[in-house]
Amino acid sequence: MLDLYLFQLLNGLGLGMIYFLIAVGLTIIFGLLNFVNFAHGAFFLLGAYLCYTAVALTGNFWLALLIAPLAVAALAWMVERVLIKRIYHLPHTFQILVTLGIALIIQEASVLIWGPVGKHIAVPPELRGVLIIGDFIYPYYRLFLIGFAALIGLGLWLLLERTRFGALVRAGSESTETVSLLGTNIFRLFSLTFALGVGLAGVAGVLFAPLRGAQPFVGPEILGIAFVVVVIGGMGSFGGALVGGLLVGVVQSMMSSLWPQGASLMIYGAMAAVILVRPYGLFGRA
Amino acid sequence: MTEKNPLAVAKGHGPALLLLLVVTLIGLPLILPSTTLATEILIFGLAALACNLLLGYTGLLSFGQGIFFGAGAYGAALLMIHLQWGMLGALVGAALFGALLALLVGALAIRRKGIYFVMLTLAFSQMAYFLAYTLSGWTGGDNGLLDVPRPNITVAGHVLLDLADPRHFYAFVAVLFLLIFAGALRVIRSPFGSTLLAIRENETRAAAIGYDIRHFKILVFMLSGAITGIAGALYAMLLHFAPLSNIDLMMSENILIMTIVGGTGSLFGSLLGAGAIVLLGDVLSELWPRWLMLLGVILILVVVFMRGGLWGGLADLAKRLRPSPAVDGKTKEQL
Repeated sequence: MLDLYLFQLLNGLGLGMIYFLIAVGLTIIFGLLNFVNFAHGAFFLLGAYLCYTAVALTGNFWLALLIAPLAVAALAWMVERVLIKRIYHLPHTFQILVTLGIALIIQEASVLIWGPVGKHIAVPPELRGVLIIGDFIYPYYRLFLIGFAALIGLGLWLLLERTRFGALVRAGSESTETVSLLGTNIFRLFSLTFALGVGLAGVAGVLFAPLRGAQPFVGPEILGIAFVVVVIGGMGSFGGALVGGLLVGVVQSMMSSLWPQGASLMIYGAMAAVILVRPYGLFGRA
Repeated sequence: MTEKNPLAVAKGHGPALLLLLVVTLIGLPLILPSTTLATEILIFGLAALACNLLLGYTGLLSFGQGIFFGAGAYGAALLMIHLQWGMLGALVGAALFGALLALLVGALAIRRKGIYFVMLTLAFSQMAYFLAYTLSGWTGGDNGLLDVPRPNITVAGHVLLDLADPRHFYAFVAVLFLLIFAGALRVIRSPFGSTLLAIRENETRAAAIGYDIRHFKILVFMLSGAITGIAGALYAMLLHFAPLSNIDLMMSENILIMTIVGGTGSLFGSLLGAGAIVLLGDVLSELWPRWLMLLGVILILVVVFMRGGLWGGLADLAKRLRPSPAVDGKTKEQL
């Protein structure tokens, strides 16, 4: 019995790391660009479907893990150049509505391309099987998932906190004008930041695909969860996204066999409570 | 202030607007191939109008409209099924239920502003959905609530209006629409409405003048909730069915999209928006099931290029066609 709970806890950590990747993308776009991206869930969906296609074409999951997020990021970059950069200055309300439109287009285009029925994606052969320690059993793929997401998170943190690119973007979000006057094309950096944030949703989509497959209408659900995570952790907070993601993942996993709707009630209730009591989240700065 | 407000409020003569509405309400079932379709347009027109009171007139983007729509549908259906309430009683019940939930959601959500306000309405919307899903004994859960009646209007046992006939039901909904539209028009043209606009334009300034902002926001939320509740109840009666999708996030999004496409800040625009999207859905869903893609494109175009929506576009067109009088600036102020 205890093993079951331990198993679900670890499962929750795997799921939580995926939520972390989605949410951290959303949160850097919000924190650095002050932009609310309601199309984030749709880009996640695209990542999962592109993974399916890449695996179908090349037969190699690892190649898909490289190509699909890059393709998602490239698309996001183009969308940013054409549309998003024109609406940074608008109130959040308008950003929400425009990105809602983008999400609808991506979702419907996905159904058009890949059909209304979900696609199954196999766990890569290298990671099939389970780890057995005594009575305890845990799939290799989920272990890989946790480690890989942690690596990406670490790399991202280093990129934003320890490199020139990160410093420029953070400076640009404090004062766009100053950084521009100092001779940096800040808007090019903003495009890259947007592509980076969305690309993380793409990575999450690929990692999620072998667990649940690619489902056409999962976008809004993922978007909702991403916002729960971001709000609980604090909008714009990196550490908050990690703790929030793990928290939501574990709650969902522990409740999944007992009362799945209850898990959703709980996490959205927690989201509302956090906004009302502590709007900057558990880890956010005022 | 020379800059044109992105959410400009469409103005016009009240009586002229009501006349236009009456002509539209009479013409709609004559033009459209089915009366049911015309009824559906009016029902979503009501929901969009209610959403507009929040978005267009007070500047509140609510993802919670589906809560009130679904609550109205379930509330009216349960009153009719379990307590055998009549048509009018069920509608009043739905309005009260909608207003009560709007009071709860509104009172909490308006404690925050901007993105946090939106996130709160989103969270409540999701909670309402999962609650409705869980309370399947009442709501039918995933299967929806079946066999919703559509009682006739009776006076002392005599049938005054037989609503089983779709044309009669349309007429009934049209009269309700007219009454609610006229009422909403009065509200927004009243000092109360002007205060809402002042809140939308500059909340800090409105508070500094001495208005109790929270009080106004909660009231407009309740009004919006009541109207949306009625719309939900009518929709359940139209379909004889209250599906779970009435209360999900997509419903809230659809109502928002109709409001924006029609034109925020114009009550008649809401009917146009609902009409355009219901028709588009009806025509295209057969030919091209992925028509929502087009909806996404339209939404982006309207927000980026045509903030006045369909109503704003038509008004611009009318202005361009008419030779501009010498006192243009002055008449515009007076209209």
